[in-house]
Amino acid sequence: MLFLIGIFILHISAIVLLLVATIDNAWWVTDTMRTDVWGRWLKINGVWNLTDLPTGTDYPQDYLHAVQATAVLACIFSFIAAFVFLAQLFTLPKGQRFTITGAFQLLACVFIMIAASIYTNRFHVKESQGSYGHSYILAWIAFGLSFVSSITYFVLRKKSA
Amino acid sequence: SLTINAHVMAQQCQAIVIYTGWERHALVGSDIRLSCSFFSWRWTSEEVTFSWTYRPDGSRDSISIFHYTGGEAYLDNKGPFKDRLEFVGNPGRRDGSILIKNLDFNDNGTFTCDAKNPPDIVGRPSSVRLLVFEKVPIQAGVITGAIIGVVLGLLVLVVVIYYLMRFLVARRVFSLNVRSVSGPAALCRWAFRQGLELRPEPIPGTDTCVAKLA
Repeated sequence: MLFLIGIFILHISAIVLLLVATIDNAWWVTDTMRTDVWGRWLKINGVWNLTDLPTGTDYPQDYLHAVQATAVLACIFSFIAAFVFLAQLFTLPKGQRFTITGAFQLLACVFIMIAASIYTNRFHVKESQGSYGHSYILAWIAFGLSFVSSITYFVLRKKSA
Repeated sequence: SLTINAHVMAQQCQAIVIYTGWERHALVGSDIRLSCSFFSWRWTSEEVTFSWTYRPDGSRDSISIFHYTGGEAYLDNKGPFKDRLEFVGNPGRRDGSILIKNLDFNDNGTFTCDAKNPPDIVGRPSSVRLLVFEKVPIQAGVITGAIIGVVLGLLVLVVVIYYLMRFLVARRVFSLNVRSVSGPAALCRWAFRQGLELRPEPIPGTDTCVAKLA
């Protein structure tokens, strides 16, 4: 029982981290600029203004769409996995594994890995100023958590009804 | 004094509300229909008027390009829309839309529609902004949304196909004579676990079951 609660808390924290990584605006930060996959905040004269992301050769639009889509899909799949876990908890016969839940969580893991990898490889490669922000780091941590979570679901067996 | 107040209140409620689009995108050389309609508490009068004015981008002056009054439509015959305007509205149905043909980059600007339905004349004109492009750009987020939609659609498709396959395969198995299969009780239990709609019925006097499709 305690184990199940622990597994579920792990899953929920993966979801929370995925949401923060996708929504919060801190994939790449400098002193006066904060940016993520959706927009860019610039500090002009002490006031933060929201601007569009640059469009140019160092900001390829198609890769940007890919990162946006995969990050959102990772959140969605992790959500679906949580609901499927609750459903399987009550309907799975004794001794069976939570394979479908594990599959969805693994999909979420793969998608956030794709998002973060594309972002690392294609964006901010030549910029000398600035560093990766907390949303980016949380995306990778979410990758790790969701991977562990999905492996757990693949290994776990339902003990009692 | 109570009746006078009610009369004043009623008049203030009766404002005419004009509807146009907010923004319109169009390609160079194409035609565009700018729609304008209104809401009014009164019946559509015979003296209903529609007028369109145009203000180019970056300019402070607006010029009148269209006026409909007394059942007649008057189009621009001197200005930038000479021979390019056409009245495609239906005043009887409160539609005062105009059609501009053969758009050019100089047509970028704001078009304002003002409609009056006497005696209902108090209202705010509504404006629509026209943007002329060489190539119509895809709005932000459409591609991302499309990718997400396609992936989720594929997921739903896979789930549907899986359940369909399971249902079809199980149906074919149970078209055989159940009695001739050895261990029918186990088969019934298997069918029940697969979630198929079967009701195992115990045959009286034996401990086997016959599964019937529900």
